Amino acid sequence: MKYPLQISLCGFGGQGIVLSSVILGTAVVTKGGLYAVQTQSYGSEARGGQCQAELIVDERPVASPVSDDKDILVCMFQDAYNRYVPTVKKDGMLVIDPDLVTNPDRNIACTYAVPATEMAVELGNRMAANMVMLGFLSESTGILKLDDLKDVVADHVSERFRELNMKAIDAGAGFAKDNGFYRRQAG
Amino acid sequence: MADASKDRVLSGVHFMLGNYAAVEGALSAGCTFFAGYPITPANEISERMSQRLPRLGGAFVQGEDELASIYACAGASLAGAKAMTATASAGYNYMQEGLGYCYTIEAPVVVLDVQRARGENFASQADVMQMRWGASGDFEAIVVCPSSVQELYDYTIWAFNLAEEYRNPVIIMSETTIALMRERLDIPPADQIAVVNRRYTALPPEQYLPFKADRFGCPDAAPLGEGYHTIYSLNPHDEKGSIDWDPDEFDRLYKRVCGKIYENRHKICRTEPYLLDDAEYALVAYGSEARVAKEAARLAREEGIKVGVLKLCNVWPVPVEPILEVCKHVGKVFTVEMNMGKYCVEVERIAGGKCETGRITKNRGQVHTPAEILSALREGIR
Repeated sequence: MKYPLQISLCGFGGQGIVLSSVILGTAVVTKGGLYAVQTQSYGSEARGGQCQAELIVDERPVASPVSDDKDILVCMFQDAYNRYVPTVKKDGMLVIDPDLVTNPDRNIACTYAVPATEMAVELGNRMAANMVMLGFLSESTGILKLDDLKDVVADHVSERFRELNMKAIDAGAGFAKDNGFYRRQAG
Repeated sequence: MADASKDRVLSGVHFMLGNYAAVEGALSAGCTFFAGYPITPANEISERMSQRLPRLGGAFVQGEDELASIYACAGASLAGAKAMTATASAGYNYMQEGLGYCYTIEAPVVVLDVQRARGENFASQADVMQMRWGASGDFEAIVVCPSSVQELYDYTIWAFNLAEEYRNPVIIMSETTIALMRERLDIPPADQIAVVNRRYTALPPEQYLPFKADRFGCPDAAPLGEGYHTIYSLNPHDEKGSIDWDPDEFDRLYKRVCGKIYENRHKICRTEPYLLDDAEYALVAYGSEARVAKEAARLAREEGIKVGVLKLCNVWPVPVEPILEVCKHVGKVFTVEMNMGKYCVEVERIAGGKCETGRITKNRGQVHTPAEILSALREGIR
């Protein structure tokens, strides 16, 4: 893995975008022994409005908390896509939920469509779409182990949703595996 | 007591919010009292304190406003507690009267101020002067300025220790940038954390003088409720604590209260040099800007510009000698800060013609990017 790794997740408020970045950060730091900085921006609305969370992962303490260009961008909403897609590096990886990003007009070579929301609905709750995405990221990028991800998710979410979340993570990882969707790195 | 320290000090590796890390730092340092009034982006401090502190035997108070909160801290401190409050820029305005009282009566309290823009949670360092000069009267402030979540933890412990050591309020100058950021935090085992506790008098009440100390020293405290009667007055007072308008008493009190900080600045101040050994240019930076400045220096060196960084761990008292030392060895010193240009005045005063000076400032609600600093540096050395 080439560090620093700049990851951004964006969508609308209520999708669990910020929580996803916190879980990802917690896993790479407390399980992976790496350093990470997580920041977020969102509107004052409780639901809806654009939401974006950023994570910078490195082997040493992260110097600048802000990054101009992203290695990985996950988009779960067309408006958020429009705003943040210019920040992806040309050789970066773009992940979209095709039901929510219907007009992906920027040509990034490494683009994967992951129907996370549809898969979560099939599992019984659309709110688990973020967990599908995390499972997908774990398998396709190798930034964290699936078991570590599950441990951290178990600590962060209510007991009531644990089984659903674990299934969603497995579904996301399985989707990457079945389709051979793996991050391609330049150089 | 092993279990008690385990609950108080959460030793281990965490991925934690900056505001929470400050709370953990306070608890590791032995904080037993917190009072505060809600304001973003400092609310997570009150939130976590309200959950953590009572379970550890401490007291949490939500004040009816900022002024009540700082005075509650003053009272708690005089009663023997290690007291803290937290607020954000506009709330810090309201605290100045109570803070001035704490300086004069020499009450150790810790005040955390998360700087923000007026009205919203945008990043800023525009209150760096208010940290020092907010209250009326003569006093010296100690202001520490963390640049990361780890430093929010470490410097909060440092702040409590300085407050006890010098019987003075200590301000933790936080920023939206780090307060609302999550980052790796390593909390050491409880027995590896150095904690300074209140120094109490060994004298009986009839011999004790509450404000007697060496020329630049701190008086010993008296335990409350054991027969020591002290007036803690905002007015000029003598060694007994009685209000005294005699010019010589003025002179002795204010020279000591200011001198105990300023004359001990060598012991108080901390700076961190980065790539300064062979530097031809230097960036002086504090808080979140310091980490970006380091990255900019690293990038500048890739282009052959020999630049280093002096990171200030505290801005007040001014680390005069370390800044002067840098000025003597480089051609030009740039102050990097997230305001229209404030602390640069201090750096320029110290440089005093020994080297050229420049300002890299920004007030756009965002921390500098390394590229912005690099570009300003290129421009400034042409």
